[in-house]
Amino acid sequence: MDVRAIDLCATTGTSRLHRASPITKLGAFVLVLTAVVVQQNLFIVLACLLLLVALALGSRLPARHVFALAAYPAVFSLVFAFAAAPDAFTGAVFVVRAVAASLAAIVLLFVTPYPQLFAPLQRVLPEVVGDALLMTYRSVFLLAEKFEHLRVAIRLRSGLTHGHPVRALRATAGALGALVLYAFDLSQREYDVMRLRGYQGRLRITLPAAANRTFDAALLASAAAVLAIAVIFRAAGATLTPWSWLLAAAAALALLATIAGRLVRT
Amino acid sequence: MSHIHIPDGVLPLWLVALGWAGALALVWIASSRARRTDVRRKVPLLGVVAALVLVAMSTEVVPIAYHVNLTVVAGVLLGPWLGAIAAFIVVVMLALLGHGGVTVIGLNTLMIAAEMAIGWGLFRVLARAFGRRHVGWAAAAATIVTLAITTTALVGLVALAGGGAATGRETGALDPRSLTFANPFSGGIVSVNTLRGEAAPAKPAAPLSVARFAAVVYTLGPIGWVLEGLVTAAVLSYVARVRPGLVFGQAITEPERGPAGDEEAH
Repeated sequence: MDVRAIDLCATTGTSRLHRASPITKLGAFVLVLTAVVVQQNLFIVLACLLLLVALALGSRLPARHVFALAAYPAVFSLVFAFAAAPDAFTGAVFVVRAVAASLAAIVLLFVTPYPQLFAPLQRVLPEVVGDALLMTYRSVFLLAEKFEHLRVAIRLRSGLTHGHPVRALRATAGALGALVLYAFDLSQREYDVMRLRGYQGRLRITLPAAANRTFDAALLASAAAVLAIAVIFRAAGATLTPWSWLLAAAAALALLATIAGRLVRT
Repeated sequence: MSHIHIPDGVLPLWLVALGWAGALALVWIASSRARRTDVRRKVPLLGVVAALVLVAMSTEVVPIAYHVNLTVVAGVLLGPWLGAIAAFIVVVMLALLGHGGVTVIGLNTLMIAAEMAIGWGLFRVLARAFGRRHVGWAAAAATIVTLAITTTALVGLVALAGGGAATGRETGALDPRSLTFANPFSGGIVSVNTLRGEAAPAKPAAPLSVARFAAVVYTLGPIGWVLEGLVTAAVLSYVARVRPGLVFGQAITEPERGPAGDEEAH
């Protein structure tokens, strides 16, 4: 998990999706996620996945990071499908659905800086939870960097080698122990800094207004259309099911058009 | 097992909703209890411990794709109530990174919070029984027993999910038995009969294979339990040696004189 790459893309990205209002993006995410979750049709879930891939490529997100993160749930859902799915096609639905749902979350994370993403959540959660959510993201950067330094130090002393798993385990545990102590010192320092800055038990974050209201409305309408199609196909059941492959084909064409457009522009 | 690697859309809606309701109630109660003490001091502490768990989860211990969770360490350091808040924060962050479904955030929170609380309770009992000299044994035993309990809870969840509607699947015009497409245009482009087209037979929701799932997690799980137990033992032994107040402050209530450098002395 490369948090720095995520944060860099979210804060410096210039696509229309980056500039949309965080609340609009959260709303669209919820609609698409609901569409993916309510659907049992392999082709419609696949269509959602292809559209999300097109959205990620169209917004010029770093493909290596985005798809590496999306592959993680694919691996786990494959294990789950192998372990629990009654047949291969149910397993395929599990995997495609898991990847589509996680890709929706990952795209949201790559196009929205974390304070803006967590600010709407912070407003509805108890203050200690909302503020700690913001503090966690910040601390992940600091601890990940510190842990990496500790691992390098251990490796330089030949304590971390793939040929000696027991030694590697002991060295990693030692580094994690040192990290625990560093984390406590860090929390004390952060507390002191926050008090000096006048922290009274609530971090305040201002949400930016939408750069382009028309795009925001289009984004929400598209997400609502995806949900509506998913619900109609679910409700109509057997009647519309034979036509569902058309949606997957249309999404594949949209993806190809996005890739072609990107190639032309570069 | 720590957190459920079950993808979105697999568990039935009632179970997902129950998980969300339980998790939100738990977080609300935990926040109310946290408010009784100095909440401003708790926020950075919660943030760094949640970040510590996230960093640990992103670290492979040995090159066999197992990662540690440090949930028992977090439980021992934070106690059960703050641990519940940390569990919620960790799960939200993981879901946004595609590591665990968004819809299962509620169930995942309950699972990790239970792991922290059970680990904390068992460690308290075992640390008293074994004494300070054998913190590592107490930590390892507490972790292994805790993980065995939560893995069994996970199997119970899948058994509860059983043959719910969420396990059903449709394959559109694709016949899974012969792997052939039934062409919905076979009647001609004009008379495609979109609304009264050939109705594919509805496929009954097949049940999840609980026995196979249990066999997989009880086969792979114990390797992870032992690794987690060893790392937890090493980390807590290290912290107990360097700053006993952090470990025994929660685990052993009777006042004991700590060595120089103990954070209680500051």
